[in-house]
Amino acid sequence: MPVQTILRYPHPLLKKICNEVDFVDEQLHTLVEDLLDTMRAGPGSVGVAAPQIGVTLRVCVVDVSASRHGKDNNHGLLTMINPEILESRGVATMREGCMSVPDYTGDVDRATEIRVRFSELDQTVREFTATGFEAVAIQHEMDHLDGILFLDRIISVKTGLFRRKNYK
Amino acid sequence: MKHHPEKAHYAVSVVGKDQPGIVAGIAEVLFRLGCNIADSSCTMLAGEFAMILIVSHMKPFSKSRLFEELHPACEQMGMSLAVRTLHADEVTRQESVGEICLVSVYGADQPGIVFHVTRELAQRGINITDLSTKLIGTETEPVYVMMLEAAVGQGMTPEDVENLLENLKKELNVEIGVRIVTPVSL
Repeated sequence: MPVQTILRYPHPLLKKICNEVDFVDEQLHTLVEDLLDTMRAGPGSVGVAAPQIGVTLRVCVVDVSASRHGKDNNHGLLTMINPEILESRGVATMREGCMSVPDYTGDVDRATEIRVRFSELDQTVREFTATGFEAVAIQHEMDHLDGILFLDRIISVKTGLFRRKNYK
Repeated sequence: MKHHPEKAHYAVSVVGKDQPGIVAGIAEVLFRLGCNIADSSCTMLAGEFAMILIVSHMKPFSKSRLFEELHPACEQMGMSLAVRTLHADEVTRQESVGEICLVSVYGADQPGIVFHVTRELAQRGINITDLSTKLIGTETEPVYVMMLEAAVGQGMTPEDVENLLENLKKELNVEIGVRIVTPVSL
C-alpha cells in the first residue's frame, strides 16, 4: 500500500470531528495499511491519524517502540479503531511537533497515564493503561480525531526556533 | 521563515514604556504599508515593552520608507525605533542538530552571572537560541533567575553541558540545572 501524503494545516479535514467506524470492510483494511506505511515513512514518526491522510474516520496508529522516549515503556504497534480514553491522571509538559504543522513546536500538557479502549482490525477490543511517551503519543493522535491540533493546546508562548527535522 | 528573493527583509525593534496599544499601533503601520510580519517576539521587561520583528515587503521597498512610516507612531508612544536591512543570506532558518537544552540558573544576585555562564557555552560553540532573565526576591535579598535554551552540537550531551557548568555552581554559588527540551515528533 502506498505511503500517503500528510495533509498540512490549513487543510480543512484536519479540523473536522471524525466519524465512528461502524463496520470493518476492505476500505478500513486499506486505510490501516496506508496509516502504517505513512507512519513508517515519516522520519522518527510515532503515530498517524486518519484525518492526516484525508480520511475522517476515528482510526489512528501509534508505535513508540523505536523512539528514544518510548522504547522501554510501550505496547508495541497499535492500530486503534474508535479509541476512547476512559480515565486519565497526572500531567506533564512536552514540547511537541506535528507533521501536519511543520516548522513549529510548542509546549503542551498531557496526562501522564491514560486508560484506553479501542478495537483492532480483527474487532478484538483492547483496554490497557498507557503511561509516559506512549500516553502522550496516543493523546496527540486521538486529538486529531476531534479536529484538535497541538496548537490548540499550547500552554506557553515560548516556542522552538528551529525547523523540526532531527527528532529522535 | 523562508527566504523569498523577491522580498526585502528588515529587522525592526521597538522599545518603550509599556502601555496598551503598542503592538496594534506598530502593526497598523505595517499593515497599511503592505509589510508582512514574519517571525516576531515581544515581551515586557520591567515596565518596558520590547518588540523585535522580522518584517518583509515585496520589492522595491526601502528601509528609509519603513523607518519614516514607523517613526511617528513610535514618537507618539515614546518608543525607540531601530530598523536594519537583512541580506538574503541572513534570512534563512537555521536548522538544529543535536539536542535543545534548557539551562536554568538562579541564585543570590551578583555581577557576572550572565557573562560567566554564556561565556562557557560560547567557548564550546553552543548556540543560545532563547534567553531571559529576571531579578526577583527582595531589595535586601535579590535573587537572579536566568533561563536559556541552547542547541548543543552533535556529539555533545546535556550531561556534558552540566559538567561544563559544574565549576560555576561553586564559583558563583548558584543553582544550575540542564534539562532536555528537544521537541518530540508526533
